[in-house]
Amino acid sequence: MRKQINVFLFLKRRLSVSMTNQIKAILIDLSGTLHIEDDPTPNALEALARLQARSEIQIKFVTNTTKESKCFLLNRLTQIGFKVQESEIYSSLSAARKLIDEKQLRPFFLIDKRALEDFEGVPTHDPNAVVVGLAPDEFHYENMNKAMRLLHNGAQLIAIHKARYYKRSDGLALGPGPFVTALEYASDLKAEIVGKPSADFFLSSITDISCQPSQCIMIGDDAKDDIEGAQSVGMKGILVQTVALSNGFLWTYHTILETIIIQNFVHLVNSYQLFHMFYLD
Amino acid sequence: MFALLNRNIKAVILDITGVLKDSGPHGGTPIKGSIEALNRLYSSGLHLRFCTNETTVTRHTLVSQLRSLGFTIDEEKVFPPIPAMCTILKDRNLRPHLLVHPDALPDFKDIDQSNTNCVVIGDATHQFTYENINRAFQCLMNFEKPILFSLGKGKYYQEDGELILDVGPFMKALEYATGVTAEIVGKPSLAFFNTVLNDIGISAHEAVMVGDDIVNDVGGAQACGLAGVLVRTGKYRKPDDNHPDVKPDAIFDNLEKFVDCLLQDKQ
Repeated sequence: MRKQINVFLFLKRRLSVSMTNQIKAILIDLSGTLHIEDDPTPNALEALARLQARSEIQIKFVTNTTKESKCFLLNRLTQIGFKVQESEIYSSLSAARKLIDEKQLRPFFLIDKRALEDFEGVPTHDPNAVVVGLAPDEFHYENMNKAMRLLHNGAQLIAIHKARYYKRSDGLALGPGPFVTALEYASDLKAEIVGKPSADFFLSSITDISCQPSQCIMIGDDAKDDIEGAQSVGMKGILVQTVALSNGFLWTYHTILETIIIQNFVHLVNSYQLFHMFYLD
Repeated sequence: MFALLNRNIKAVILDITGVLKDSGPHGGTPIKGSIEALNRLYSSGLHLRFCTNETTVTRHTLVSQLRSLGFTIDEEKVFPPIPAMCTILKDRNLRPHLLVHPDALPDFKDIDQSNTNCVVIGDATHQFTYENINRAFQCLMNFEKPILFSLGKGKYYQEDGELILDVGPFMKALEYATGVTAEIVGKPSLAFFNTVLNDIGISAHEAVMVGDDIVNDVGGAQACGLAGVLVRTGKYRKPDDNHPDVKPDAIFDNLEKFVDCLLQDKQ
């Protein structure tokens, strides 16, 4: 209980100035925040249900994924026990789809076959863009050469995200970032990154909700992708320590203005309700 | 003595791929006029060396291929990165995990590759698969003190009329993933050019480097004190004429035009 009150005081201090605007939306990261693999994080099921019970709060589930389609994400969340609508999910693939449609791009896709579901109907003849996700089967020499030639002929380079590596059963494995970097170097181009932490990602994720970024809270377990990214567009950022962090790392991110570190997702909901009891209700 | 841009030139150092020949199957094809141009350079009495970042074959194979294409060339005048790499590995007692072309492996035959403590990446072409790059990445992440060597850092070169990726982009991928900065062996490293100059026994300002890579041949040579000449063959692209960082001492359409100009200026 003491820890929760501390969090409350922290919230009060950091949020009070701008909380004259009521919070209208909460953006929640998925893996590492709401669940870890197929299990919810501690008390996340009830915490989310309590948030969902408040009709004035819109919820968006925002995630960096390069291979899981919206439908796949929805099924997994439902199976874990969360009650989620497909329209509440906004992923880096959704952001890529949005950009492709807006700019009428005809991409050469270097993405996992499972993710192609989110790009149904997108024209791919005579490519004028290269879209890169995490696709070990596609990252071979011929495809990398083809991508480089397209970029030299004027195609745009779009990265779903630029993660360096991820954990695989046999140890660390390369993420999409190194391959994006390879293509950037070979073509003297900078990739447009559509996932977190890009500012456009956070702004696009709330376009179907009538609210300002300052009325949004982003909660996630990645200090850079979730917190810095959300703060860059004026949202509040709350870092959850679902995974233990080293002291040095914690110290660095304690110093980020407006960042609040809480132990896990359920504490946010507890603190948030305390906050509302005192200030809004 | 030959004059080029107010220098007394005693030695000409030539890049091979993109200057003498284009790459392709069976050693590629000679670039028009380059066989005769090379023979005229030999007759001129100038010192000649060949400085290449070629790592898809052994030095021996490279020289045999050039001879069968019609070039006059001796193996000891050719400086590719792998022999220089092997000297460094021995000097520093390093045992490499190799991500290189299979055809280049015989040049590493004297190198201990057990219990590895560094990674060497070359132009591995079709060996650049996700799993192979990942193995190099995992090695670097597991080393106590990760060391990455890259045999050159070229972005791309031309083969069969198309651009193909060189080692550089894959080196950058490993650098980005691991946070390690690669040590370059080959052009444009200072040590590599100095090895060639020492072999001739002249100082940098007496030599000219001719290449098709604006950054690694021309820029690298200039940074080392040599004159840097760009030829518009091989991987040359139009924007290279106005490169933001590198201004060649001269630009010629091909090796033949360079030799015409150099030998015409004979004093």
